[in-house]
Amino acid sequence: MENTPISLTTIVTFLPIAGLIVVLFINREREDIIRWVTLGTAVITFLASLGMVAAFDASNPGLQLETYYNWIPGFNISYHVAVDGLSMLLVLLTTFIMPLAVLASFDPIKERVKLYYCMLLLIETAMLGVFVTQDLFLFYIFWEFTLVPMYFLIGIWGSENRVYAAIKFFLYTMAGSILMLLAILWLGVNGDTFNLPTLLEKLASGALVFPEGVEVLLFIGFFAAFAVKVPLWPFHSWLPDAHYEAPTAGSVILAGVLLKLGTYGFVRFNLPLFPQASIDLAPVVAALAVIGILYGAWVSYAQKDVKKLVAYSSVSHLGFVMLGIFALNAQGVQGGIMQMVNHGLSTGGLFLLVGMLYERRHTKLMADFGGIWKVMPLFGALSLIIVLSSMGLPGLNGFVGEFTILLGSMGSNFLAVGFTVFAAVGVILAAVYMLYMFGKVYMGPVIHPENERLPGLDWKEVAVLVPLIIMIFWIGLYPTPFFGMMDSSVDALVTPYTAPGGSVTAAPELAPAPVAAGEAASVGLAPGY
Amino acid sequence: MELPTLQDLNLAVTLPSMGLALWACVVLAVGLFLPERRRHWNLVLSLGGIVALFLYNLTLFDLPADRQSAFLGMYRADNFTAFVNLIALVTAFFGVLMAYEYLKRTHIDRGEYYPLLLISTSGAMLMGASGDLAVLFVALELLSIPLYIMSGLRRPNAASEESALKYFLLGAFSSAFLVYGVALVYGAAGSTDLSEIFHRVNAGLILDQGLLLAGAGLMLVGLGFKVAAVPFHMWTPDVYQGAPTAVTGYMSVGAKLGGFAGLLRVFIVALPAVSGAGDATGWQDTIALIAALTMILGNVVAIAQRDVKRMLGYSSIAHAGYILMGAAAAGSPDVRDFAVSASLFYLLAYAFTNLGAFAVTVAIEKDDATNPQLDDFNGLSKTRPVLALAMALFMLSLTGIPPTAGVVGKFFLFQAAVNAGMVWLALIGVITSVVSAFYYLRIVVNMYLREGPGEAQAQRSFLGVAVGLAAVGTFVLGVAPVLFLDLAQRAVLVALGG
Amino acid sequence: MIINGETIAFAVFAIMAIVGGVGVAALRNLFHAALSLLVALFGVAGLFVLLAAPFLAMVQILVYMGAIAILIIFVIMLTQRVAGMREQYNRQWILSGLVALVVFGVLLMVISQLGTPENAMWNPSAVAATLPDDAGVAALGADLVDANRYVLPFEVAGLLMTVALIGAIAVARED
Repeated sequence: MENTPISLTTIVTFLPIAGLIVVLFINREREDIIRWVTLGTAVITFLASLGMVAAFDASNPGLQLETYYNWIPGFNISYHVAVDGLSMLLVLLTTFIMPLAVLASFDPIKERVKLYYCMLLLIETAMLGVFVTQDLFLFYIFWEFTLVPMYFLIGIWGSENRVYAAIKFFLYTMAGSILMLLAILWLGVNGDTFNLPTLLEKLASGALVFPEGVEVLLFIGFFAAFAVKVPLWPFHSWLPDAHYEAPTAGSVILAGVLLKLGTYGFVRFNLPLFPQASIDLAPVVAALAVIGILYGAWVSYAQKDVKKLVAYSSVSHLGFVMLGIFALNAQGVQGGIMQMVNHGLSTGGLFLLVGMLYERRHTKLMADFGGIWKVMPLFGALSLIIVLSSMGLPGLNGFVGEFTILLGSMGSNFLAVGFTVFAAVGVILAAVYMLYMFGKVYMGPVIHPENERLPGLDWKEVAVLVPLIIMIFWIGLYPTPFFGMMDSSVDALVTPYTAPGGSVTAAPELAPAPVAAGEAASVGLAPGY
Repeated sequence: MELPTLQDLNLAVTLPSMGLALWACVVLAVGLFLPERRRHWNLVLSLGGIVALFLYNLTLFDLPADRQSAFLGMYRADNFTAFVNLIALVTAFFGVLMAYEYLKRTHIDRGEYYPLLLISTSGAMLMGASGDLAVLFVALELLSIPLYIMSGLRRPNAASEESALKYFLLGAFSSAFLVYGVALVYGAAGSTDLSEIFHRVNAGLILDQGLLLAGAGLMLVGLGFKVAAVPFHMWTPDVYQGAPTAVTGYMSVGAKLGGFAGLLRVFIVALPAVSGAGDATGWQDTIALIAALTMILGNVVAIAQRDVKRMLGYSSIAHAGYILMGAAAAGSPDVRDFAVSASLFYLLAYAFTNLGAFAVTVAIEKDDATNPQLDDFNGLSKTRPVLALAMALFMLSLTGIPPTAGVVGKFFLFQAAVNAGMVWLALIGVITSVVSAFYYLRIVVNMYLREGPGEAQAQRSFLGVAVGLAAVGTFVLGVAPVLFLDLAQRAVLVALGG
Repeated sequence: MIINGETIAFAVFAIMAIVGGVGVAALRNLFHAALSLLVALFGVAGLFVLLAAPFLAMVQILVYMGAIAILIIFVIMLTQRVAGMREQYNRQWILSGLVALVVFGVLLMVISQLGTPENAMWNPSAVAATLPDDAGVAALGADLVDANRYVLPFEVAGLLMTVALIGAIAVARED
C-alpha cells in the first residue's frame, strides 16, 4: 500500500500527546494552568472528533479517514489507522468522556498534579489508538500501552490498597494480552502481514487458510486478552479492586472506555478473523456472559459500599454487551456497540456520583448515607436519572442497548433461547440492586447528623453531569443517528454469519455463506424509535 | 613465500576493534602522566576515540565483497561485524560515561579503568568479527581478562575481591571448555577456519561426527558461560553483586554481546550443516532448551531478590534467554536471516535499556560501598522526577511494554521463534515476560507509589547525560525502530566461498 | 620388538613419567611431591621428542616445568601452613579417584583402537614420516607471523599479555 497523507483520525489520536507536550513545559507549581490546558486539550480533541463525524460517511461500510504509513518496511508492519462504523462511536465516547473525567479531577486531585494530567492525556491517546488502529502490531503497542497510565492512575492517586490493586490490574491484563501476542505473531508470520484489512482479504481469497484446530487456538489467544479486559466472568477478579481503589476519574475512564477495549476487540478481531471458531464457541462465550450478568447482579446486591456495588454492576452490564456480540447477528452486535456507549455514560456517571459523595463525606459506605435527596435535591434528581439509565428504564439510553441485545440474542442462529431468558432476569436484578442502593443512599430520613449540612453541587460538578444527562436522554429517545452510524459496517461484519435471507431457522452447522450486502442489510435494522 | 600486500590485508576495515585497542594503549600512556586535577582527560580521550570509531564504523556497512574480510579471512568485515561494533561502541560509551564520577566517588579512580574497558570492548568486537576459531578464542580472552581486573578494582573490599576471583576462576574454566571444543572441532574437520569447517561438514569430509558434536557442545558450554545461560549462570549473581556498579553495568552488556556475537558466528557460519531433525540444524533443539531454561530460571529467581544489582543480574540471565531464543530460531534455514537481525536488534535495545538502568543504579548508590537495595528507590519520583521517569522507562522496556525498545525487540524475537515453528518457546517467552513484570514493576512501585527519602547521590552531570541518552535511545528504538532495524536486517551470516 | 636407542629412550622417559606421577600422589612432603612433578613433566617432554614433536617438547619444558611447576613450588614455599601439611587425603579423594579411573578408561579405549604394536602408529619414526615436510618449528614460527595465517591471533595474544600486565599491576599495587 502507498503511504497516505495524515488524516483526521491520526490528528485526533495524537492531539492529547500535543497537549501533553505543552503540559510538560509548564512549571509543576502552576497547577491551575496545567488543569486548564488539559481540559482545553480534551475539549479540542472532542471537537476534532466531531469533525471526524462530519467527514464520516455512514453509508460506507469500509474504512474511512485512513492514514497509512509504511512504519517498519521489510517487517510488514505499518502505521495504519482508520475508522469505520464499528469504531466511530467508541472514538466519540472516548473523546466525550475525557473532558468530563478531567473536569471531575479538578478538586479531588491535589497531589502531583502535573503527573496526573500527563497520565490522563497519555491514556486518551492510547485508548483512541486502540480503537482506530488497523495493524496488529500497532494494535498490540497501543493495547499494552493503555496499561501504563492506568497503572499509575490507580497506584498513585488511588485509595488505601492502591498498590495492590494497581499491580493486580497490570499483571492480570498483561497476562491476558500476552497470549494475544502469540496469536498476532502467528497471523503475521503465516499471513505475511500485520495489516488487518490485508489479512482479511487473504482469508477471504483463500491465500491464508488456518490449519485444522489452529483457528480455535488463535481465537482463544485473542479471547484471553479481551476477556480479561472486558472482564468476562470468571476473569473479572481484578476489576472490583481496580475500580474500588482508583480515583474517581480513573474509575470513570476504566468503566467508561477502558473496558470497551475488550468488547471492541471481539468485534474488531475475533468476529471477522475467525468466523468458524466464533460460531463454534459462541454458546460458550454467551454462557460466560450470562453467568457474568447474573453473578455481577447478585454480588452487587450484596455490597455495603456504593463504589463496589457500581464496580460489580459493570461485570453484569458488560455481560450484556458480550451476549449481544456473540449473538452474531446485526441486531446483537449493534446492540452490543450501543450498550458499550451506554455503559460508558451511565456507569461513568455513577462513578462520578460516588466521587462527589466521597468528596463530601469521605466514605463510600451506604450505611453512612440516607436522605441525601433532602439535603441535595438537584444532586438527587440528577442521580436518579443516571441510576434509572443504568438499570435500563425505557426512554433512557440503557434500555435501547439492552433491548436490542435481547432482540439480537433471541433471533440468533447460534444461541438457544435460554440465554435470552436468563439475561432478561439480569435486567430485573439490575433494577433490584440499583433501586436498593438508591433507596439506602438518597431516600428516607437523614439518619446521620454529618449529612445535614452537605454543600450542594458546584458549577464544575453540574458541568460534568449535565452533558451525561443530555446524552442519556438523546440516546434513549432518538437513537437512530447512533445506530445509523454503525449500520452498514455491522451488516458487512455479520455477513458471514447470516445464512441467505438471514433466516432465524438456519442451522449453525451450515457453513456460513457470504451473501450480498444488500440482502444482509435487511436483517438488522435498529428497533423502531 | 609470497607476501601479501597491505591492500590484501584490508587493515582499514579492522580499524574499529584494532583501532580501539591501540587507542586504549594511547589512553594508558597518556594517563600515566596525568596529574590528579587533569584526570578528566582520561574520559575525554576515551569518549573521543569511541565516538570517532563509531562514526567510522558507520561507513563499514555494505562493503564490497573484496573488502569484507581482512587478514585473509581471519577477520570478517561484513554487516554483522559492523552492527556488533556499533552495539559494542555504544556500550563502551555508556560504560565510560557512567564510570567517571562513580570511580571518583568511591575512591577507585584508577587510570587503568579506561584502557581496560576499551580493550575489553575491542575483544567483544573481535568476537563478532572472527572468521577463525583461533581468533575467536583470543578475542574471548581479550574480552574477559580486562573484566576480571575491573571487577576487582574495589580491592580490598571483600565483595569486590570475591567477585573478581569467582569471575576469573569460572571464566578460565569456561575458556578451557571453549578451547577444548575448538580443538575437537579442529580434529574432526581439520580446519579452524569457520567457512572451511562449514564446507567440510557440508561435504561430509569430517573425520568423526561424534568428535564434531562433542566439540560443538563444548564450545556451546564455553560461550554459554560468557552469556550466562542456564545451567552455566551460577557465577552471575555474585559477580554482578560484588563488582563496582559501573563495571557491572558495562559487563552486563559487553560480555553478553561478545558471547552472543561469537555464538552466532560459530554456530551459524560454521556449524549449520550439523545434521538434525528435518531441515533444522542439529543444535537447534539444544539451544532452544537452554533458552527456555534460561528464561524461566532468570525471571523466576529474580523475583526473590532485594539487592538491585543481584536482581539485575538475574534479569540479565533472563534476557540472555530471550536472545538465545533468537539464536535457536536461526537454526531453521528459512528464518536464519530474520532471526539474526532480530537478535542483533534486541542486543542493541538491551544495551540501551540495561545500561540506562545501571546508570540510574549508579546514581542512587551510596558512597559507603553498600549495595543499592530496592528500597533505596522509594520516593525517587518526588526527589528526582526525571531520573525516576527514565528508570520507569527502562523497567518498562525490560518488561516489554510499549513505547520502548524492549517491546519491539521482543516482538521480533518471538516472531522469529514462531516463524521457526517453535511456538512453545515463544509461549515460554511471553509467559516469563509476565513473570518479569513482577520484579521490574517493584522498582516502579517503589519510585512512584511509595514514600521515602529516595535521594540520588550523584548530581546531574556526566551520569545524567548517560541516563538521558540511554532513555532517548530506549524510546527512539521503540518508536522508530526502523532507524537501526534497517542496518540489523542487512546483517547476514554465511560462510565464505563455496 | 627391536631393542634400539629409540625403545630404550622410550622406556626411560616412560618410567620417568610414571614414577614421577606416582610420586606426586604418594609422597607425604608436598615439596617433594612438587619436585616429583618436575620429573614426570620432563618424562612427558621426552616422549614428545620421540614423537617428532620437538616444539611441544620445548613448550612442555618451558611452560610446564619452567613456569607452572616452579610456580607451584613458589606457592608451597611461600605458604608455611601448606608446606607443613601432613594430611594426605581429604574428603574428595573418592570422587577424584573415580574421575582418574574414568580418564584412564577413556585413554585405554583410545589406545586400544590403534591396534597392535606392529601397527605403524606405534613406531615413532613411522609417525614422523607421515608428517608433511613443513611441520617443523620453523614452519610454525613462520605461520604465526604470516599475514596469510595466524598473525591476527598472534597479535591479539600479544595484546592479551599487555592486559595481563596491566591487570597484575592494578591488582598488586598498594595505594
